Amino acid sequence: MTHKTIIYTWILLFLLILPMIAFSMEPMEIIQGPIDKVIEILNSPKYQEKGTKSAQRAEIWKIVKPMFNFEEISKRTVVRKWRSFTDEEKAAFTDVFSQFLGNTYVDKIQGEYHNEKIVYIEQNFHSDAYAEVKTKIIRDTVETTVDYRMIKKGEASWKVYDIIMEGVSLVKNYRTQFATILKKESPAQLIERLNKKLTEQNKRLSENG
Amino acid sequence: MEKSDDKMLIVKHCRWLIVLVVFLLMAGTVRADDSVQPMDTPASEGEDADYYDPFDKDDGTLYDEGDGSLETVADPMAGFNRAVFTLNDGLYFWVLKPVALGYSYVVPSEIRVCVKNFFFNLLVPVRLVNCLLQGKGKAAVGELGRFTVNTTLGCLGLMDPATIYPTLNPPEEDMGQTFGYHGIGNGFYIVWPFIGPSTLRDTIGSIGDWALNPFSFMQLINLEAGVLTSSETSVVVFGVRTINDTSFQIGQYEMLKDAALDPYVAFRDAYIQNRNSKIAQ
Repeated sequence: MTHKTIIYTWILLFLLILPMIAFSMEPMEIIQGPIDKVIEILNSPKYQEKGTKSAQRAEIWKIVKPMFNFEEISKRTVVRKWRSFTDEEKAAFTDVFSQFLGNTYVDKIQGEYHNEKIVYIEQNFHSDAYAEVKTKIIRDTVETTVDYRMIKKGEASWKVYDIIMEGVSLVKNYRTQFATILKKESPAQLIERLNKKLTEQNKRLSENG
Repeated sequence: MEKSDDKMLIVKHCRWLIVLVVFLLMAGTVRADDSVQPMDTPASEGEDADYYDPFDKDDGTLYDEGDGSLETVADPMAGFNRAVFTLNDGLYFWVLKPVALGYSYVVPSEIRVCVKNFFFNLLVPVRLVNCLLQGKGKAAVGELGRFTVNTTLGCLGLMDPATIYPTLNPPEEDMGQTFGYHGIGNGFYIVWPFIGPSTLRDTIGSIGDWALNPFSFMQLINLEAGVLTSSETSVVVFGVRTINDTSFQIGQYEMLKDAALDPYVAFRDAYIQNRNSKIAQ
């Protein structure tokens, strides 16, 4: 092998690696991108008129949804009982729970947003598979810490599997609630409860426009 | 001769490029290697590896007591607590929230911020003493620094010019956290009428904090300060503070409540998680 071939091999290798580096998004970018877009939608004059709330909610949900790995969230809220769920029950639970979370939080964001400032503090890696993005929401003088815990499965991009607000993990909060219910009831009954809540919620949301 | 010199130069540059690439690649692996090691612990625990969270420092709630319950705190008086929770919930929606909304409608946010700052500044003894009881010297200096800056430049604490200096803004300490820091557990969960969620430990702690609050301290040492030490004043102060603080937090209670399947359990868990994270700070 001559020097030339070595050099060309390296250049070729470099060119192959470069796009991989450029296109694998950092965890913080994955959080920041959609949040910036959501704030844009919240401020958009298009949605200041009456009767546009559900359209706005749908658009926000479309942007926010891909940030999360709802299967991971669902599994982590049920923990060991997840084994007793059939595949259909797992899918049904993930579906209804993600819709319920989406409805609840998107509605609150719509109702409560008052030009809060969001500060992106840092991102920490635990390994190639786990990362944490620390942020802060500043409203008047009140600061709320919000940490996003993210998982990277294989070639997929970083996805959120838990949100920690003021030290309170969303997953762990539901874990205690679901455990109380699953102590007495079957997975199907839990799914039924969530479905009932979701129906009520959808009815209330559509009434409010 | 000149041509081969040029060639040499290119080769030389390419070498640097190679060194750079190799360095970048190694830097990448080093970072990954650095953080990978604690991974093997959960993998050995079989199926629980599925729920493994490397950022969760105390994953006690993952492991149930065998009966399927995942209690984050003992709750022997759950029946009483649930009743008080319902009472407080009613008080919030029928009294506190309407009053706080009316108050924030009448009083501009600039003034409400001043009220908040003033009380916060006044309660420096509580935070300072608890910093010292936990041996947090830096935080104690920060508390004193903020008190000095805000009492002078901040017009008796009405303003918070110290807010821009991170060292002058240590995490807020209280006696419940001091007990927790020294290894004392929650005891059990208690919901107090008007005051809200607490535990045995935090209730005892708040009695200590109450004694460190300047108004009560004057009462305790029998210092006669007229209106300042009267019990009416402390009730009014409690009321104004609660309403003023609530005016900044409307919507938060509703959010957690609406997001819950069992609001009582959700608030109990949120209280314990929040306290644990503060003790760990």
